[in-house]
Amino acid sequence: MVDMTALSRVHGSAAAQGRMRRRRRAEVRLKVYGIAAILLAGLALVTLLWSVIGNAQGALTESYLTLAPDIAAEGVTADSDAEALRAVNFDGVTKDTLKAAFPDVTDRRERRELYAIVSSGAAFELRDAVLEDPSRIGEGAPFRFLASDDTDLYLQGFFGRLEDRAHSGQARFTSSDDGETVDVFLTANDLADTLLIVKERLRGSARTLRRQAALQDAGVRAFEREAEGATGEAREEALTEVRRRSDQRDRLIAQAEELEDRASRPSVAEEIGRSDPSILLRIGDTGWVKLTEVEPTGGRGVVLGPFETESVVDPSDWSYFVLDRPEAARSISDRQIVWIETLRSEGAVERQFNTRFFTSGNSRQPELAGIWGAVVGSFWTMLVTFVVAFPIGVLAAIYLEEFAPKNRFTDFIEVNINNLAAVPSIVFGLLGLAVFLTFFGVPRSAPLAGGLVLALMTLPTIIIASRASIRAVPPSIRDAALGLGASKLQTSFHHVLPLAMPGILTGTIIGMAQALGETAPLIMIGMVAFITEIPGGILDSASVLPVQVFSWSDFPERAFEARTAAAICVLLIFLIIMNAFAVFLRKRFERRW
Amino acid sequence: MLGYTLLLVIAVALGFFLVAQNRAVRVADGRLADLHSRPSYHGLYSLLWALIAGVGVLALIGIGGSWLVTSTLLGRIAAELPEALRIEHQLVLSDAQAIARGGIPSAVDALREAIAEDFARLDAIRRWGAMLAALVAALAAGTLTLSQVATPFRARNRSERIVRSLLLAAAVIAVLTTIGIVLSLIFETLVFFDNIGWRLDKFLFGTRWSPLSGVMEGRMDPERVGAIPLFAGTFMITIIAMLVAVPVGLFAAIYLSDFASARVRAVAKPMLEVLAGVPTVVYGFFAAITVAPFVRGQSTWIIPLLLVALSFFLVSVGLILLDRIVPGSGRRLRGAFNGLGAIVLYVVGAALMLLYTYSVNPTFSFNVASESALAAGIVMGIMIIPFISSLSDDVINAVPQSLRDGSYGLGATRAETIRQVILPAALPGIVSAVLLGVSRAVGETMIVVMAAGQGANLTWNPMEAVTTVTVQIVMLITGDTEATVAAGPAFTLGFTLFIVTLLLNILALRIVRRYRELYD
Amino acid sequence: MNDMDVAETATRAAEGRPAGQETKIAATGVDVFYGDTHAIKEVDVAILDKTVTAFIGPSGCGKSTFLRCLNRMNDTIDICRVTGEILLDGDDIYAASLDPVQLRAKVGMVFQKPNPFPKTIYDNIAYGPNIHGLAANKADLNDVVEQSLRRAALWDEVKDRLDEPGTGLSGGQQQRLCIARAIATAPEVLLMDEPCSALDPIATSQIENLIDELRADYSVVIVTHSMAQAARVSQKTAFFHLGLLVEYDDTPKIFTNPDDKRTQDYITGRFG
Repeated sequence: MVDMTALSRVHGSAAAQGRMRRRRRAEVRLKVYGIAAILLAGLALVTLLWSVIGNAQGALTESYLTLAPDIAAEGVTADSDAEALRAVNFDGVTKDTLKAAFPDVTDRRERRELYAIVSSGAAFELRDAVLEDPSRIGEGAPFRFLASDDTDLYLQGFFGRLEDRAHSGQARFTSSDDGETVDVFLTANDLADTLLIVKERLRGSARTLRRQAALQDAGVRAFEREAEGATGEAREEALTEVRRRSDQRDRLIAQAEELEDRASRPSVAEEIGRSDPSILLRIGDTGWVKLTEVEPTGGRGVVLGPFETESVVDPSDWSYFVLDRPEAARSISDRQIVWIETLRSEGAVERQFNTRFFTSGNSRQPELAGIWGAVVGSFWTMLVTFVVAFPIGVLAAIYLEEFAPKNRFTDFIEVNINNLAAVPSIVFGLLGLAVFLTFFGVPRSAPLAGGLVLALMTLPTIIIASRASIRAVPPSIRDAALGLGASKLQTSFHHVLPLAMPGILTGTIIGMAQALGETAPLIMIGMVAFITEIPGGILDSASVLPVQVFSWSDFPERAFEARTAAAICVLLIFLIIMNAFAVFLRKRFERRW
Repeated sequence: MLGYTLLLVIAVALGFFLVAQNRAVRVADGRLADLHSRPSYHGLYSLLWALIAGVGVLALIGIGGSWLVTSTLLGRIAAELPEALRIEHQLVLSDAQAIARGGIPSAVDALREAIAEDFARLDAIRRWGAMLAALVAALAAGTLTLSQVATPFRARNRSERIVRSLLLAAAVIAVLTTIGIVLSLIFETLVFFDNIGWRLDKFLFGTRWSPLSGVMEGRMDPERVGAIPLFAGTFMITIIAMLVAVPVGLFAAIYLSDFASARVRAVAKPMLEVLAGVPTVVYGFFAAITVAPFVRGQSTWIIPLLLVALSFFLVSVGLILLDRIVPGSGRRLRGAFNGLGAIVLYVVGAALMLLYTYSVNPTFSFNVASESALAAGIVMGIMIIPFISSLSDDVINAVPQSLRDGSYGLGATRAETIRQVILPAALPGIVSAVLLGVSRAVGETMIVVMAAGQGANLTWNPMEAVTTVTVQIVMLITGDTEATVAAGPAFTLGFTLFIVTLLLNILALRIVRRYRELYD
Repeated sequence: MNDMDVAETATRAAEGRPAGQETKIAATGVDVFYGDTHAIKEVDVAILDKTVTAFIGPSGCGKSTFLRCLNRMNDTIDICRVTGEILLDGDDIYAASLDPVQLRAKVGMVFQKPNPFPKTIYDNIAYGPNIHGLAANKADLNDVVEQSLRRAALWDEVKDRLDEPGTGLSGGQQQRLCIARAIATAPEVLLMDEPCSALDPIATSQIENLIDELRADYSVVIVTHSMAQAARVSQKTAFFHLGLLVEYDDTPKIFTNPDDKRTQDYITGRFG
């Protein structure tokens, strides 16, 4: 038998104090979990926004290369008629212009690289400019050629920047026998630090090899154990495997040791591979050498830009650049960088705000692609959604709140609406595909089809919000109207609906915002198709913003990554505006009865 | 064309509104009070009838006629190509339609051109016919109502009855949508099952998914339609997502409802709402661009971390089970070594787990696929966090204050109150929130399309790429294969998805309703 | 019940009062603010051990608020601020070193509406002893549960269904369950906030009898709307009005010969 009155003494006891500390610790623990959860969610949001906004910056600029095309060479003059002008091969003119700027480039592969520094859209822009103002032909007036996506990425510093390294030695360049390469001799060991970078790469390779060797070693031991326990053929097989793997291991270790040995000797010359940082030497205005072999006081290199060899160059007349990202890890070659840098030093490179991104339609070329087509597509789609979903949603809500009898059919409608709100969006896409496209023959990819599907998806949201808002109108208003002899319908439309409207609109805007971000169902009905034109109506083929985001994210060009992120930013801005408007409506018209 | 007709019909109806209103005023002859209904109701009555007749006829002829044209032409094609499959007939027809509309057909031949000509002719007849008939119907209905305008005519009551029916029709659209979903999904599902010879077992339990690779003369190989890899992939990603979302969402809800100050709430709640408002395609981009490369690049510490977390989980479960089997033993173990027992157990568990991993893979070099289930699952979990937290927050707040007071009044701490009183009381609501979260995860498309794999891969390893039901639907529908072939498996998967989410939703709503009844 | 009857009952209740009680709770200069509202103004009161003290007064007079100060339940309300001194057995209960959680174990509370936890009857009672570690083993815990239920006069009604949910009991049973739950925590003081206001007359009289029995071991403070109830169960009565403690004295004195005009007006039903 426990003495209950004595128990109260437990509360002040030392044991209770100890227990209390444990209980408090448990409380702190729970609190810490809670704070950690909030912080995690916040961290996720910040990372998400940061990764979107950080990536989007690349889409905000575009680059131009200003060159003087010689259009007259195509046999037209400023007086030629439009027919003749249109017949000019402007693609050829663009290429000729580039060739003229870098006459040393003769190799076909190199030429293709050269052509790739301007956009494939530049020729069309040149044609349009000439058609508009034929007087350009005679003067040989400079034209701003849109740079390609990779050129723009390079100019943005996406691939890293050419780092100008300090140097003190005089340089001498001698052509080697084959004429393609030059030997470089310096009076100081300016290149020692570069050599170290290469040696470090060797050590890294050695480490990788050793890791692979360790894996093989684990395999060797595993098969040794297996061999111990086995007999006959199985044992033989295991032993073969042991031999094979130990050979492999020894070979890897030998390679690693060789690399480590080379890395440990700082003065031995090393080759610079495609996985090493690029080392470019610049001599005078146009001379460029790319090092292929380096030692502390010189090396050997390929001439990328013409200059006088065999003479001694003072330290102030040559410079020495390092680009950390290896050529293998970027989509722009050293050669292209040299051309761009040459143009830059001539003042022919220009970067400006990318208005094209906000005003043009889709394109396969990142530098030409814009979101305007998708924005307009979204507008038409949302228009259809609103025109269909808003009246139906409001009428259905009025019916359910004001007129519906309490019976099983009404219950069934309600259950239906609640369940529709949770049906996966992709199922709505399948519905649209089967019903609107196949059965009713609405054109594929059209905002009409997309809008109808989104309207069905948004309907439950609008109905639920409208019902809540209608329910919030106090019965006294209805009684007053009915008491004055208004019919039930007049009461609903003249008195209840206007009072409920702010709430209905808030719900509708939130539903529309959800619909604006919806992607999966629209993919189902073909809005993912590649469409370059700006849609002019609800029956034209179109894409919408979120689907544009999806299709761009699938393109391999790096520059599309930035455009995808920028398109997301535009989408988010629209969503923020809509939600802010909804919040404003709620705050402005919120009424507590 | 039909759109213009619709506008025309609306214009006609508006015209009748004005005419009928005027006529009512004239009939009243200056004594408007004599009219049973005000003139505008006479107008409304005419407008409604003109509109209903016009739009009805338009829809009937426009859509029914389209069906008629298609079936006529299909019949003609079938007569020309009796040996070809139905699918090929449809292909010929769609090519012919493309030719007629100036689009790009997949092939051009004499038959297609002939059909195209027929199609152009019939379609023109259909459109003009629909337009004419709709206008005639609207005019006729309107004129008829005009003749009814009279002082005692109860225009208001009659138009109200019509409007009431329209209201009901609007409400019924939700039901029609559900019926439409079920019908459209079921139809293709039956076609698909027929196609594989009703081997439902092969679909539900087969382990090889490659439905389009084994198509022979329009028939699929039942051995290649096993959806188990898709179910397993969906399941794995859902599990990972819930492992992220449930603890974070639940702890966030607990903290916000019972610990946080008003200031913290004012920041954290909108933050969670923003997280909830981000479109899924953005999460997909985030998963593909940021999270997947991160998981892949940082696998050397992420994986040991996950292993340690797994060991913690196993130790906790073990202790709970031990407590169940031998009551009190788990608690005693925890309390051993001056109360450090729990820490010792966790450390030992983690060490054993890492030692085991070391014995298998001494360099801790793991191969993480670039489209791992882990990355997609984590991001999907982040997407579901606000969902879980806001629903849980609602149910936790719905637990009456009197229960909290009762617990505090007995000298319980907040943690004890939450764990022993509030959570048990809110459990049904939380369970239903989790079920709804699962339903969303299962049906979520964009994140997995952008960040999970596409090949059907049956694996236990979350570092590998897996595919899901939704990914396969998207791939089948957007793929290059002829739509009529791919639709079967895609719609069947869609139907499966619909059924599963429907069951989850119904279950969740039922649980939450019972819970509401408990406290309202 | 007219006021003469009330006075008579009060006299009778006071007769059973044992002599020589000590002060259990001493409150001096207590002020309570809800945000900007000054809810309790300068209240001084000494609550005796092994006595039933009743707080009476019109709605909104602050009697419940003051009651909730005595076990720091007001701490759970963000905007509530308490100043002044409240001593329990000479220790300041608002001292920084004192944990309100431990205080509430000593000062138990029963609320207006019965609020059994959604657990079994047994678990409801065992909740307090478990969190405070009052029972060394299962047998002790069973014993504590049984004694508490017996003291709350509920044992005979529920002994065969201890594992059924506490929410399934009738209103009066639920309130006795809540009292048993408070007793099981082994408090020294029991605060009751209108414990009978949600109950029917039969259940009310059961609870009132129970309160009278509890007086043997505990100091009981009861807030009540019903003057008759205050007269029936209490030995001391405090009358609150507009946040002020108007009068505090022996119950018979308050109901027969109040010093203050306002008290007299209240007990004779002129306002309230």
